[in-house]
Amino acid sequence: MSRGWMPYQNNGGTSIALAGKDYAIIAADRRLSVGYSIQTRESSKITKLTDKAVLASCGMQADRHTLHSVLTSRMQMYQLEHGKEMSTHAVSEMLSRTLYYRRFFVYYTFNILAGIDNKGEGFVYSYDAVGSFEAQKHAVNGDGGVLAVPMLDNFVMKKHRQLEDKTKEMTKDEALRLIKNTLNAVVEREITTGDAADIYVITKEGTTHEIFQLRKD
Amino acid sequence: MSIMEYNGGAVVAMKGKDCVAIACDRRFGTQQTTVAMDNTRIFKIHNKLYIGLGGLMTDVQTVGQILQFRHNLYRLREKRNMSPAAFTKVVSNLLYSKRFGPYFVDPIIVGLDKNDEPFVSSMDLIGATEISDNFACVGTTEDELYGICENLWNDKMEDKDLFETISQSLLSATDRDCLAGWGSVVYLIKKNSVEISELKARQD
Repeated sequence: MSRGWMPYQNNGGTSIALAGKDYAIIAADRRLSVGYSIQTRESSKITKLTDKAVLASCGMQADRHTLHSVLTSRMQMYQLEHGKEMSTHAVSEMLSRTLYYRRFFVYYTFNILAGIDNKGEGFVYSYDAVGSFEAQKHAVNGDGGVLAVPMLDNFVMKKHRQLEDKTKEMTKDEALRLIKNTLNAVVEREITTGDAADIYVITKEGTTHEIFQLRKD
Repeated sequence: MSIMEYNGGAVVAMKGKDCVAIACDRRFGTQQTTVAMDNTRIFKIHNKLYIGLGGLMTDVQTVGQILQFRHNLYRLREKRNMSPAAFTKVVSNLLYSKRFGPYFVDPIIVGLDKNDEPFVSSMDLIGATEISDNFACVGTTEDELYGICENLWNDKMEDKDLFETISQSLLSATDRDCLAGWGSVVYLIKKNSVEISELKARQD
């Protein structure tokens, strides 16, 4: 009995992002898997769209690659036509429309757009596969997302911390440590996440990129 | 929908330095409808041995009561309490005896053995056992619990730290699961006492 052919495939992985007062951090692992096999340990899920906005997509690598290529060319065309980079708000809207354009044959990608807006404040937008999006303080996506999210709720949103000062903001270094610890925890228990992770820290001064090694088993 | 997700619920257990803790949420529902908010999934076997069960509530109650009954008989015959390791085998055996028509439960067993060493074990619905060095999670919130427990657990926790860690883990994890929550009960089992705490959480 044949199961038919599906145009989609889940290549696994996890992406995590969080926004601070004047920074944003986004991370995604570099493992590409199909079922129980690893295709490569060096496949990046992240593309830097502008100096201020970085996009990570989990789901299907083929659709992710196409989506990122399409968006990158749109960025370049905008730059040539208008003589400046696209604003972050415009990028977020454009991504939403690009996804909805394919409403009836979706890009199997679950996106997070992170960066700083024109005022220098950190932002994170998370999307579903058809372009519905929302600004949040933190977002997760991918197979390991559910493992990571309670950690971010607890440390970023300070939920269940009655005695703590909730107005105190997280510093960039604390946030980076949190992201690295969370990634390590997800890698322990989730099989499609691991090998290494791209971590981008976006501030007014620019964007730094680090490849953080994770367990390879 | 899977039968194991029909009633919802979450149980987590953690090992401390000289103590163990087990906690569960308080929701009992039928699919999307919440029926009770004062439910418990943890059963006392003896002063230093507790079992918590995730899965279908009717089987949770049946298996919990069967095990309490079996331990009572054991205590009458042997004039002593059962060790956690032996009890784990008893549970595993009970579940495998129903291999082709199983009880839909995922048990977690916690206790202190005869030298007051902490013990945590868990198994699937047909009795495949794992004795953990650190923690165990079952229920609809399993994945979220694995994520946060992996982050927060360390091997140097005394009773106060253990209580705080297990409480924060369960509360944060069940916040993200619509089938589990409505508060929690935490049992902290130490050499000479058991502390039972009821925590208030988001009431949704």
